[in-house]
Amino acid sequence: MDKAELKKAFLERMSAKMGRRAVLKGMGAGLIAAGGNGVFPGIARAQQSGHIRIASIKVIDTLDPHFTGFLSSIQIINNIHNGLLKITYDGEEVRFEPDLAKTWELEDDRTHLFKLRENVKFHDGTPCDAEAVKFSLLRVKEGEPESPHAWKLEQLEEVEIVDPLTVRLHFSQANAFLPVALNGSTGRAGTIVSPAAVEKFGQDYGRNPVGTGPFRFVSWRENDAIELEANPDYFEAGLPKLERATFVLMNEASTAVAAMISGQIDGMTDCPMQLVPQIEAFPGANLYGEIEGNYTFLGMNNQRAPFDDINLRRAVAWALDRETILAQSYFGRAIQAYTPISPPMTKFYDPDIATSGRGQWFDLEKAKQFRAQAADQGEVQATYMMAERGPVGTRVAQTVAPMLAQIGIRANLELIEPATWVQRRNAGDFDLYDFEWVADLDPDEAIYPEFRSDGAWNYCGWQNADFDQHCADAQVTLDTEERRRLYYAAEDLLMDEAPIAIMAHMPIYKVFSTKVDGFQYIPADLVNLHSVSLTG
Amino acid sequence: MILRGLVRIGQTLVVLLIVSFATFGLLKLAPGDPVQLALGAEYSETAYRSLQREMGLDQPFLVQYLAWARDFATGDWGRSYVARTDIFTFAVLEALPVTLTLASLSLFFAILIGVPLGVLSAVKKDSIFDAGAAVFALTGTAFPSFLLGILLIWLFGVKLGLFPVMGYVSPWQDPVTGLYHMVLPALTLSTYFIAMITRLTRATLIEVLEQPYIAAARARGEPRWRVIWVHGVRNIAMPLVTILGLQLGTLLQGTVLTETVFSLPGLGQMITDAVLSREYVVVQAGVMLTATLFITINLLVDLSYPFLDPRLRAR
Repeated sequence: MDKAELKKAFLERMSAKMGRRAVLKGMGAGLIAAGGNGVFPGIARAQQSGHIRIASIKVIDTLDPHFTGFLSSIQIINNIHNGLLKITYDGEEVRFEPDLAKTWELEDDRTHLFKLRENVKFHDGTPCDAEAVKFSLLRVKEGEPESPHAWKLEQLEEVEIVDPLTVRLHFSQANAFLPVALNGSTGRAGTIVSPAAVEKFGQDYGRNPVGTGPFRFVSWRENDAIELEANPDYFEAGLPKLERATFVLMNEASTAVAAMISGQIDGMTDCPMQLVPQIEAFPGANLYGEIEGNYTFLGMNNQRAPFDDINLRRAVAWALDRETILAQSYFGRAIQAYTPISPPMTKFYDPDIATSGRGQWFDLEKAKQFRAQAADQGEVQATYMMAERGPVGTRVAQTVAPMLAQIGIRANLELIEPATWVQRRNAGDFDLYDFEWVADLDPDEAIYPEFRSDGAWNYCGWQNADFDQHCADAQVTLDTEERRRLYYAAEDLLMDEAPIAIMAHMPIYKVFSTKVDGFQYIPADLVNLHSVSLTG
Repeated sequence: MILRGLVRIGQTLVVLLIVSFATFGLLKLAPGDPVQLALGAEYSETAYRSLQREMGLDQPFLVQYLAWARDFATGDWGRSYVARTDIFTFAVLEALPVTLTLASLSLFFAILIGVPLGVLSAVKKDSIFDAGAAVFALTGTAFPSFLLGILLIWLFGVKLGLFPVMGYVSPWQDPVTGLYHMVLPALTLSTYFIAMITRLTRATLIEVLEQPYIAAARARGEPRWRVIWVHGVRNIAMPLVTILGLQLGTLLQGTVLTETVFSLPGLGQMITDAVLSREYVVVQAGVMLTATLFITINLLVDLSYPFLDPRLRAR
């Protein structure tokens, strides 16, 4: 047997692996749906074909949209569920548009009116109506056990059912963050779940999700795979195009790349930066990826010495050579960040940020001037905790430490295990740490809970009443111009007082085989398979 | 005999008790908060307390341990609070068969390749072949399985396209595809053992071949293959089986990396994930299974001695 024959034999055996499914496919696609829940598909079924296999490399905690804390889960959840609103992207601008809602109107700045689509059904056959919307929103807001995203609907006062397909949401104050709260990256507070399914499965809903989306959930084998199949009754005409989708759960990204190249899988939900060159060199795959809603930074503990000294923090902020960091820690793929607001927040990102004079960048002279004003003029010792976690592991720490040495700060690198790292960060037991913060596509969620004096994620412990005020005002300001002005003012304070030294905005990559068509990239780490089809 | 059996079972239970308590205690001592890890970045204080209560982590240590031990003994292994799946189903019905398949196939490869290689080295002592086998054995024991796995994936999976690079298919449902998927992982995991068995076989066989009964067999004019394979190899079975039993720990340890590299949903991956997310109950289940497996195998090793050495049968 020569190589080509062996390869053929291998492929045949691979399709034998799909055994039962392949047989069903041969007998006519309809049978699959019949096996699903007994509903015999109509004409719509005829256009669905193909079985896509996608490697999912990160942790999937639950498929319950109201309880997940991970984007990797949302990638799958988004194919099963719909929200009141959805995120769209045309290559230039990110928008929030009605999804399950047919129209979305602001009656006044505190009252939102949603008219729902007609005849939308959940995968279990129950109708998706105003009751279901109310149920889902209240499940997030006041359900038990409490949703980690409850705070996003804190200002929701009442969900009024006007008629079976119309809901009116009353808020206690104008809420500029609402569209993002309803479908922001991890906290999809506006995702609508089947009340009947929640009733039926209770806490197990996360392993038996029932939504209105283009795919319905079939099975979840731990550490192995999550299977979805087409929802023939999906409300968007002509979608989905695929008959079946498998998310193969993997721990090791380099194995996923090997599986991609050998044709065992058709896509990857994530491709770490260091593996991108391998994919670029492989003609059978397309790479999707742009700078997304995130910022990476060096965090300093503002609550204790030595970094309770503002001049020392400023010295650090100006001493980091961002170009070197980008090249060495981020494989030359990230872009320099000057402030936290990232490019996909299209209404708020400043396109001229590099020349506008706002934010922080590398200026060793300036750093040395600030260092000279610091209280401690001797060598400063600082504990820098790092862990083998995230997209870059300990690379940033190793690159940054010599830069700190130049301004007389000796960073003692401490390598600790990721779970301990999280605990110590949350407890404020560190001097320095680096992190990549993923933010929803709105400035509020990107800086307010992170740096508000009593913010839940203010691990650096920075306090500034003016900053708090600017952000609080911006929350209730619906005029984009005015809101942007407020956030810029807040950011300027933040960057000047330097609780963090900001470093980069990172690209997030997805990979699909060249056999895959129609993938619509959205810079919110989504893997929407709605319009995806498979050829050949 | 029955008494000895009962004593043995009693010993096993005591060992399991100690193991479970030690694991539970060590996990609690390790820094890291399971509630924090399960909730991700976005959560409120009440959500934290709500989940903590749900997990039973608001109770004192001993209460938690006793509650766990009671449930575990009565067959209620609890639910994973990350994956929200039934732990018994996950650990025993899903993960254990994967690891058992991987481990037994590796052991099979190790014996199939290691013993003949060792025998040949012993018989052709100090030849080029022997030197070659020694180099192979040293490399094999020194090579990290993680790297080897990735190299095998690239060579056999990607470059030659001979074997699948990931995924698990149960050999009980589909023997051909199942074993086909297991070839690379088993080869990766067994390299260390092939090398070890080669060296062990060689060393013990050289010793055995110098014994008087071998000389006697030769003197009787028995053919050379019979002298080596029947009189020789049979006498190295005991040390071999003993070492294999003891090395089982290393084998199970090796499954962790192998399962990660080849994306196999086995016990190793289950325990690693659970340790990283501090899922105490899942780790407990995994450790208990592994400990039981280890004890059982060594019990079987003990029981096999009379079969391997007739002199032990009289006693």
